[in-house]
Amino acid sequence: MIRFALRRILAAIPIGLLVTLGVFALVFAMPGDPLRELAGDKPVPPSVLAAERAQFHLDRPLLVQYGLYLKDIVTGHFGETFDGRDIGEQLRLRIPVTVKLALLANAFQFTAGMLFGSYAGFRRNGAVDRLLMLATLFVLAVPFLVLAFAAQYLFGVQLKWFPVSGTADGFPMSYLLPAMVIGLLSFAGLARVLRTSIVETVNSDFVKTARAKGIGEQRVLWRHILPNALLPVITFIGIDLAGIFAGAVLTESIFNLPGLGQFLFQAIQLKEGGVVVLLSTLAFISFIVINLIVDLLYGVLDPRVRSG
Amino acid sequence: MTIDLDGRGTRSLTPGEVLLEVENLSVDFDTRHGRLRAVDGVSWRVRAGETLAILGESGSGKSVSVQALTGILEMPPGRIVSGTARYRGDDLIAMEARSRRRVVGDRITMVFQDSLSALNPVQTVGRQIAECFEVHRGLSRREAMRRAAEMLDRVRIPAARQRVKDYPHEFSGGMRQRVMLAMALALDPDVLIADEPTTALDVTVQAQVLELIADLQTDRQMGVVLITHDIGVVADVADTVVVMYAGHVVERAAARELLDHPVHPYTEGLLGSIPSADLKGHDLPTIPGTPPSLRTVPSGCAFRTRCPLTVAECASAVPPLIPVGPGRETACIRRTSEVPGVTIPHSRLAAGGA
Ligand SMILES: Nc1ncnc2c1ncn2[C@@H]1O[C@H](COP(=O)(O)OP(=O)(O)OP(=O)(O)O)[C@@H](O)[C@H]1O
Ligand SMILES: [Mg+2]
Repeated sequence: MIRFALRRILAAIPIGLLVTLGVFALVFAMPGDPLRELAGDKPVPPSVLAAERAQFHLDRPLLVQYGLYLKDIVTGHFGETFDGRDIGEQLRLRIPVTVKLALLANAFQFTAGMLFGSYAGFRRNGAVDRLLMLATLFVLAVPFLVLAFAAQYLFGVQLKWFPVSGTADGFPMSYLLPAMVIGLLSFAGLARVLRTSIVETVNSDFVKTARAKGIGEQRVLWRHILPNALLPVITFIGIDLAGIFAGAVLTESIFNLPGLGQFLFQAIQLKEGGVVVLLSTLAFISFIVINLIVDLLYGVLDPRVRSG
Repeated sequence: MTIDLDGRGTRSLTPGEVLLEVENLSVDFDTRHGRLRAVDGVSWRVRAGETLAILGESGSGKSVSVQALTGILEMPPGRIVSGTARYRGDDLIAMEARSRRRVVGDRITMVFQDSLSALNPVQTVGRQIAECFEVHRGLSRREAMRRAAEMLDRVRIPAARQRVKDYPHEFSGGMRQRVMLAMALALDPDVLIADEPTTALDVTVQAQVLELIADLQTDRQMGVVLITHDIGVVADVADTVVVMYAGHVVERAAARELLDHPVHPYTEGLLGSIPSADLKGHDLPTIPGTPPSLRTVPSGCAFRTRCPLTVAECASAVPPLIPVGPGRETACIRRTSEVPGVTIPHSRLAAGGA
């Protein structure tokens, strides 16, 4: 198991380097001089500009810049943002925001997905099943931005049930609305995976065997159907959790939550290469770690994977 | 209900006692194409110590009939239209699910064809066997596991004590079928229903599994219902045979008699091309034509479109099973009406003898 984990991590390193380099190259290629834009109309003495360029490695070619940023990350010298904020401090403040949002959104997604998915699976072609089909289509058709702004306007501005934006009301109040929007947009996928899986499992031979053993329906459900039906769901949740960061960029920006996603959004706007490389590295690491955990968990729950 | 289920104290079986008696069982399926009759008026019985083989081509309703009477058929789409299945007098079909579960799984158990898909892939085989002891005998988990290991040993799985902790995919096909048997025989059932238990196995392993069933059967006068395609299996182990075609029983006879003198043209076709010494391991030989789809079952005798003896009257009514000798019945007007009163044509008996 440890060897498996190590192998996976080692294999991930070159991919991670490529991905973060790609992201950085895109930022690098954006037109304009970030420092001059930051200064606005104020005239900046060329000597100051040059010093700052050197501080942020902006005077170097692309690959050297990237290498220097990586070195800063590996040695833990995160440094400052262009506007002088300590990056380490920013991470400390922002990581909890994103984690809270992610956990809450997943709680919504998970609860709704499991409830609807299992209900639809056991009552195939019933009302809930059809409703779920509609919901899936709806979610596919409506872009995230539209739903997010609509929810913000309706429940925040008009009904005033939730704060419109910001974290002034703390956890969980400030996080509820954005988490529900994310949850609403992703529960249907989970529900469908679970539904399909249950439908397949219920008709499988070993469930027939279990019934032929004369054990009660409850026991058939909990000991035989669910442990098998939930396997694909674990993979789905893993992929989903790993994608949280991508969702966080949009959500945190719309609802003005000071998390990592918003940080990344700002950094891209300002062409802050160092921060972009740092955050995409973080995102990639969390992606790899979550996937690894899911795979290990899967191995524990499904003996066929373990010995294969 | 008067079934003694406590502890290991299962009532001893009197040889020859009728254990399970199915009468006039009919099962429909509601499908998009309307209602289909998969099993039509099937009757048979199995006695203590006896092995009853149900023989027939694919789709003839063998599995559906036994699944219907044990209550594990999916309903809907399935529906039991008529019939009784009496286990020592108590009708399983009329019974409430709760009482039926005390019989099916305890006194009547089942083994299925594909042991890989028929075992729960994420539970150890030990737990799956132990579950029977826990649910029906109220044993503790620990004690149940110990008994599960004993069962694996009884079906001759080497190193049984270690292997209880293995998962189904870690066994070979033949070993897995033994695991299924261990599970089905754990509670010393009165009747074992084995639905093509050896079809997926190669011939040697097949023989071992059948031998194992036979051994365990003689220990306790268990009744065995064996569903099969394989005439060799019938020749080896069956006492009585029921031949099914398109949901109907078309012939019923003692195994030896059926193999030596098949009366129904369908049975004859099944046996026709193989000399009986050479039956072992043979699948059913093909009869010209294909079995009818349930949607297009011919009127009257379902076999008439493939039958060499067919005449106009065959289309008019479903032929009833008519006695053609002691303990023998056949559903064929061509073979039962030739000599009114007397049944099997003499010419046929003479030809088949010797
Ligand atoms: N769920 C179902 N819905 C509709 N028809 C079904 C269903 N299950 C079985 N049938 C039909 O019932 C008929 C009998 O099936 P059954 O499984 O009993 O055949 P069998 O004799 O066991 O064949 P095999 O030797 O292939 O196992 C088949 O024609 C099959 O198509
Ligand atoms: Mg079958």
